[in-house]
Parts: sequence; C-alpha cells; structure tokens
Amino acid sequence: MIELRTLRKTFGQFTAVDDISLSIPSGEFFGFLGPNGAGKTTTIKMMTGLFTPTSGQILINGFDVVKQPQQAKATFGYIPDHPYLYDKLTGREFIYYMGGLYGMEKNDLRENVERVIDLLELAGWVDKKTEDYSQGMRQRVTFAAAFVHKPRTIIIDEPMVGLDPRSARIVKDSLVQQAKQGSSIFMSTHILEMAEELCDRIGIIHRSKIIFLDTKENLHLHTSKYDGNLESVFLELTKEQSE
Amino acid sequence: MSTFLHILWYKNLMFWKVPSQRDTGTLIRNLGSFVVFGSFAVGAYYFSHFLTGYLLEQVKIGQFLLHRFIGMLLFVFFVTINLGNMVVSFSTLYRTPEVQFLLTTPVSYLNIFVIKFLDNFFYSSGTLFMVGFSVLLGYGVYFDLPWHFYPVVMFGVLVPFMFLAACIAVTVLLLVMKLAAKINFRLLIAAVVLAYIGQVYLYFTVTSPVHLVREVMKYYPNVDLYFGALDPAGVRYLPNFWISEILYFYVNGNSAAVIGYTVLLIASTAGMFLITLAIAAGSYYDTWITSLSIKSLTMKALTLKDRFFSFGRASRLSPPVEVLLKKELWQFVREPMQWIHFVVMMGLLLIFLSSVSTLNIRLESAYLRAVVYLVIFIFNIFLINSLALRFAFPMVSLEGNAYWSLRSSPVPAETAYRIKFLLVMTILGVLSMVIALLSNVPYLFIHHVTGEKPWQVIRVVPSFQVRVLAYCSIIITPIITMTLVSLNFAFGAVYANYNERNPIRVASSQGATMTFLLSVVYLVYLLAVYYFAATMLFTAEVRKLPVDWTMLQIVMGAVIVPSVIITGVVHSLGLRSLRRDLS
Repeated sequence: MIELRTLRKTFGQFTAVDDISLSIPSGEFFGFLGPNGAGKTTTIKMMTGLFTPTSGQILINGFDVVKQPQQAKATFGYIPDHPYLYDKLTGREFIYYMGGLYGMEKNDLRENVERVIDLLELAGWVDKKTEDYSQGMRQRVTFAAAFVHKPRTIIIDEPMVGLDPRSARIVKDSLVQQAKQGSSIFMSTHILEMAEELCDRIGIIHRSKIIFLDTKENLHLHTSKYDGNLESVFLELTKEQSE
Repeated sequence: MSTFLHILWYKNLMFWKVPSQRDTGTLIRNLGSFVVFGSFAVGAYYFSHFLTGYLLEQVKIGQFLLHRFIGMLLFVFFVTINLGNMVVSFSTLYRTPEVQFLLTTPVSYLNIFVIKFLDNFFYSSGTLFMVGFSVLLGYGVYFDLPWHFYPVVMFGVLVPFMFLAACIAVTVLLLVMKLAAKINFRLLIAAVVLAYIGQVYLYFTVTSPVHLVREVMKYYPNVDLYFGALDPAGVRYLPNFWISEILYFYVNGNSAAVIGYTVLLIASTAGMFLITLAIAAGSYYDTWITSLSIKSLTMKALTLKDRFFSFGRASRLSPPVEVLLKKELWQFVREPMQWIHFVVMMGLLLIFLSSVSTLNIRLESAYLRAVVYLVIFIFNIFLINSLALRFAFPMVSLEGNAYWSLRSSPVPAETAYRIKFLLVMTILGVLSMVIALLSNVPYLFIHHVTGEKPWQVIRVVPSFQVRVLAYCSIIITPIITMTLVSLNFAFGAVYANYNERNPIRVASSQGATMTFLLSVVYLVYLLAVYYFAATMLFTAEVRKLPVDWTMLQIVMGAVIVPSVIITGVVHSLGLRSLRRDLS
C-alpha cells in the first residue's frame, strides 16, 4: 500500500512536484505517466528515499519513508531505469546479495532465488558475471533481485528500457503475477500501450501536478471523448495543459 | 552488524574475481602491472636503505635530525593523505551510483557510510601500504632492527596514522557538507583551502628546519644524541611527531617510549574514528541530500558566466578544434570534483612556492646544500606529476559514453587526442614554469635573510655556480613536464575506462597507479642524474672551483634525450590504443 499525502518538492524557485496526493491499495497495478520533466522521477526518488520531500508525507505499507526509512524500504522493491549492478558478481550472486540486504534467512533465500530465476527465465546466463550482460539482461536481473524478498510494494521507473520483445513479455508477466499475489505496483512509464494493458489505474502528471487519475474501467469514458485510446487522451490532456 | 558483514563479504568476493576479458593484451597488461608494482617495491626498499645510509654516513646529519626530517616528511604525507581522502571521499560518499543504490534498500545510513568510508580508505591506500612497507624494510634493515619492528610499525603505527588522516578528512568533509546547507559551498571550500594553507605554513614556520639543522650541528660530531629540548611545544601534539619519536626510540632501544607513543597514536585514531561515526550517524543522509543541491547550484551559477567561451560565439579556430576545446573547458568547470581538486592543489602549490621562494639556505656543507636543492627540485617535479596524474590521466576516459559522437564524426582520432593533450600540456606547462622560476628565486637573485639573531639581516649573493644550476633546472623543467604529462595522458588512453564518469576514481585506478609508479621510476632516474650536477656545482661554489661544463652537458643530455624518447614512445602507445577504441 502506498500513500502520498500533499507531496511537494521544490528546487530553489522551481517546483518539481506540486501537492500530489495518491493512494494505491494492495494488489493494485498503478501506472504513472507524464511527459519528460513532468515530475515522475522526482516523485519516485522521494518514494525511494533518494530525495526528501519539501512538504507532505509518503507512507509505504504504513511506514513513513522520511521518519522510518529502513522499515519502509524493507517492504518495497525498486527497479530503476538504469539499474546499478556490481560488475564482478554473477546475476545469481547479485540476487543473493540483495536478499541479504533485506535480511532474508539463507534457506528461505535459496528457495526464493530459484523462484525468481524461473520467473524471469534467467537460468541460461544467470551464472555469468554481470559485466558481460546486455542492457536487457541487466534489467531482468534487477527485476529478479527486486522480487526476491517478496516485497509488498514494487516501484518501477521505466521498466522496458533496453528490453527485446521476449524479455518485455517475461517482465510484464512477472509484474502481473506480483500484483495478483497482492503486491501494490507503482510503475512510471512512457509506453502508453503497456500502461493500458497492465494497469488497474492510471495517473498522468504534467507540470508537477496530477491532471488525470482514473481506473482502467473508466478509461473508455475519456477515450470515447477523444480518439479511442490512451495515447489520444494523454496527448490531448498534456496539450490542453501546455496551452 | 549482520548487514554490514554481509556487504563486506560480497565486497571481498568481488575483489578476488578475475576480469572476464582474458585476451593476450589484457594478460600482458596485468603482467606488466605486476612487474612494475614488484619493481617499485624493490626500488623503494633500496632507495630508503640508500638514503638513510647516505644522510647518516655522507651528509652526517645524525640520528636526531634524520628522524625529525622523517617527521616533517610524515607531516606532508599526513596532509596529502588527508586532502586526498577528502576529495576522494566527496566522490565516494556523495557521487557514486552504489550509494544511490544502497539508499533505496533497508541498509542503515551509518552502515552505508562505514562501507564507503572503508572502501575509500583501502582503495586509495593500497599502493601507499606497499610503498610504506618497502620503505620501512629498507630503513629497518639499515639499522638491523629486530623482526617485531616490521609488524609493530606497519600495523601499530603506519596504518593507524593513515587511518587517522582519513578520519579527520571525512569528518571535515561531513562538517563542510553540513554547513553547505546554509553557507555558500564555494565559500566553504575557499575557507578549507585557506585553513590548510595556514596550517602547513604555521607548521614549517614553527618547526623551522634550517634553524633546527644549525642548532643541532653546533654539537657535531655528537649529532646522534637526543635534542628533544629543541622541539617546539606545539609540534609534540602531532601524530607525525609521535612516529618520528617511535622510530628514533626503536633504533635506540627505548621500548617504554616506543610503547607509550604507539598507544597514544592508536588511542587517538580510535577516538577520532568514534567521533567520525558519531557525526556520520547524525548527518550523513542529510549531507547526501545537500550534495544533490550543490550540484545543481554549481551548474546554474556557471551557466550564467559562459559568454566568452559559449558555443554560439564565433571563433578563429577551425570548427572541430573550437568545439572540442570548448567542450573540454565546460566539462571541467561544471564538474565540482574537478575544480575543487584543482583549487586544493593550487592552494598547496601556493604554500610550497611561498615558503621555497623565501627559503633561508645558509648551510655550510656543500652536500647538505645539494640535498636541500635536490629535495626542492624533486618536489617540484613530483607536484607537476601529481597534477598530470590527476588531470591529464583521466582526460581520455572522461570522454565516456559520449565517444559515439567522436566515433561517428569526421574528426580523426589523432585530432581529438592532440587537442586534449595540448590543452592539458599548455596549462601544466605554464604552471611548471611558474614553479621552476619561483622555487629558484633564492638561487638566482640577491636577497636578504635573518641571521642567528632576529635583528640581524644578511645579504645573500648567489654564486655563479649556483646560478648555473638554477638556469639548468629552469631549462629542463618544461622538458620533464612534457614527458610527465605525455606519460600520464597517453597511459590514460591505454588504460581508458569509458564507463567511469568519476575523474578521481579514474585517477586512482590500477592503470593510474601503475602510471604513477612508472613516473616515480623516471623521477628517481632524474634525481640520480641531477645529483651529479647539484653536488658538482655546490662543491665548486664552496671550494671556489670553475664549473665543469663537460659534466654539465652530459647531465643535461642524460635528462633531455631519455625524456624525449619516453614522450615519443608513450604517445605512439596512447594513439594506437585510442585508434583501437575508436575503430
């Protein structure tokens, strides 16, 4: 469960995120869309502790990210757009390493490492050093490492960077499975088709403010008003705001 | 604690992994590194053994002065490690992607701090440990010290000493970053640089090496005795003084004093480490957040002043040369790690030049005068080499992932290589000339110095022989600078790491360390060759003999010819490597 309460972030005179309030319950797949520079990454960085909010509050699974950072972080898994991996570790070692950081017991960890390797279909190359991986392989290992401690919340920034169609399918399936198992998923993406396909609810941020927030079920109300798909809604809304 | 050990275990695992690339070139490069490191360790041993013997048997300075000189060297060493750690820590604690990654995990801020602090300490001190042990071995073998001297001094003295310097550095950095939330960051950096300049100036004013030599030499030949009464009171609280005492008393068999000073050093280090941890526990994360705003402020401030070198401004240079030059300039001034380090190094340079250009060098012995001159000469060169390593070595690597723009453009690799080299060579060439001129001021011009009594003023007229030596030094300095800049720049291309965006980490990588060791070999060669010129000319001055021009020509030839050859060879290696990378 994620709760953003009147969240605001300023850099000097510039307001990057302006009074955002959101609530994402367990099991919901939330898509966070917006043009470049709208405030998506700033929001995610505040949620993961890489920025402190200027005002407002972020609760992840009941823990305040600013006041109880360790407890909050223990409950979520984060997948950045350009993941950091240790070059000299193999993919398997990196997943074990991440499990250790989240305090997992060895037996439980071993079982879960095998689970995520199967889930993300890494078996063919997971024992090679990550310095030899392509961008897509790095991304899939990062997903596996984020899933290994069975997080109650998953935060993803641009999940499809560098993924081939097969890898993209594997990642999408794995995310749907996590949501079905009760994890709340907060995903920032530029790929509108993907948001349309996977997300239960969609939010659009533009010029630091949320300008659209609704469920997939209600999307047809908006799409019929425009041109029949999410891309039209997105383009129209961000255009209206720009004007 | 378990998370901390967990991370340490994986760090250890990564350290022992063999690189995936196993081609012949990599194998030869690794073998070359091994040979250079090994040779350097052996060389450091012989150099330390020879120098100790030379100072005691030839120059006859006595054990007390020898250990006080060691103490002074250790002070410089301490300040160097301290500043080095401060600059490297800024990048390790605040700029590495690993910290960003760990901050998104449930690892405590203090654990992240300790991991990165230790990482930084061992990463930047590995070579120093090796060199330190070799020097210790040379010293210990000369005095025929018992076996326990080596582990005790290495782990009980040298390592705590270096760790203390690192703790102080990181504590100062944390405080600066804490204050940076309220005070202008550039103002703070200026204050820190001034504080360090003041501290070094104060130390050498208080210790006054020349005064100490004169006072001790009054008791010649009993110069092995302990002249502790001559030590200024303030100096006794400094860790470099404690080491000087430990070594003196080890050689003279005073175990109680050795134990006392060793315990004092270890206790001070442990105390300082606890203080560092306490400050980090309360402020590391806040300062990390502050570091993000520092980056944006620096960039914003510098964008406003880019009129003269702006890309839109017309230039008489050809378009590729113009844009390459401007790109290099902006990459430099907009990166805090670059200009902060440059300012710090310029500050140190200023202290050195201000003390050397007003040096009171009225010593009787020709040998001692030659030693003082050679120390200044080699320190000049060492300074230039440090600048070259820090700023010339990373230049090719810093092209980074943007290399595609060069690779896909019609600009040949040679052009980019030459422009980068000429830029760094011009800046360091001018600096080296300033260093050479100012450090030779006391050897070139008539000047006045204070005598034995503070009110006595003595007029010093440099002799013809000494002026010849000063002119020779000024002539060869640009040639040596060219060699050192070429060596560092070209090896930076040979060991290019396009994935590393942090210039400090590039300048302290394995390739950089190997380049540094190679340049030290070159410096030792220069010292050995120039020793003949310096002793010949100072002896000629004392004994009123004419200058031996033939010997001087041989010495100059022995410096210039190999320097030119090295320059040519390293550039061909560097260019070959760049062409390979761009193909």
